[in-house]
Amino acid sequence: MKILLIIPAYNEEENILKVYDNINNYNLDKEEKIDYIVINDGSKDNTERILEENNINHINLIQNLGIGGAVQTGYKYAYENDYDIAIQFDGDGQHDINYIKNICGPIEKGEADMVIGTRYLDKRSSKFQSTFMRRFGSKIISLTIKICCRKKITDPTSGFRAINKEIIKLFSEEYPTEYPEPESTVEVLSRKYNVSEVPVNMNERIAGKSFVNVWTSIDYMLKVILAIIIDNFSIRRRRGKK
Amino acid sequence: MQNTLKIALIIIILIYIFFIIKSVKRKNMRINYLIFWSITAVILIISLLIPNLVEYISCKLGFEMPINMIFSLAIFIILYLIFNLTSQISNLERKNTALVQEVSILKKKIQDLEKLYNIDGGGENEK
Repeated sequence: MKILLIIPAYNEEENILKVYDNINNYNLDKEEKIDYIVINDGSKDNTERILEENNINHINLIQNLGIGGAVQTGYKYAYENDYDIAIQFDGDGQHDINYIKNICGPIEKGEADMVIGTRYLDKRSSKFQSTFMRRFGSKIISLTIKICCRKKITDPTSGFRAINKEIIKLFSEEYPTEYPEPESTVEVLSRKYNVSEVPVNMNERIAGKSFVNVWTSIDYMLKVILAIIIDNFSIRRRRGKK
Repeated sequence: MQNTLKIALIIIILIYIFFIIKSVKRKNMRINYLIFWSITAVILIISLLIPNLVEYISCKLGFEMPINMIFSLAIFIILYLIFNLTSQISNLERKNTALVQEVSILKKKIQDLEKLYNIDGGGENEK
């Protein structure tokens, strides 16, 4: 199976080399190497120079598109190069590469079309359980998805996820760019594909900060809920017409 | 018709026509939008030429003052326009995203090929 890691990177000069080293170390003792592609989303720092100097396989977006647009570029690349599995993998070192085997398992067995790496499934597996606010937000978004799609997704905002060939094609054609993680989950669910979850470990960011406060998270949550409802509704309507 | 209203209308129409002619000359606007702006200009001219038209209509519709009708009409037209614009911006954003992605992927392919064939002396193959 051809596996591609899609690594979106925006101003990740401090982390990207570490992630690259992790991938190389991971590949050392495996017969089946995994490929990777770094999507440099118009970074303003030295990310591009670092990618260039270290000969890291990458695409420079000529304009900043945001995480959704960047990841979709990766899916388009995966589709063009005929990959069987594409894994979204953060460029800031949050995701643990050793869980790739777990996350690909259900797809390789054909049990799922999309697998989400979840922080909350097993308390022991993840040292980093994130803040109360994030967990609370996740719960509400997850409840909305359950009502709309009748499927429980514990960690809908997790960016550590793998998809199979069919979903790669779907995402390269149509991928939500506003709230990519929860919206793409809904996109897949409302098309009646199988989504499953596996517990993963997430580290705290190696360097840099993520900017979240109470108001932005409430704002985010409300918009996501609205987006989920609209997405679910519009996809169902289109399915109905066909 | 009130004098103030008349003067206001004349000024608006003059500015209007000035901008429409300007953009026709520069050819920087699509015919579709030009038609919209021209129609509004024509409506304004008609309301000026027929003295009691605005009063008559606003009275029939139950407005206390003619200017109220003009204001509410203008607000609705502007709302419609903004709605149209936001939907077009979303559309353009989507197209722009697809364009940026396509160009960036092609750029990567070209660079890979250049490296493969050493076109600009760019050392070894990528992997």
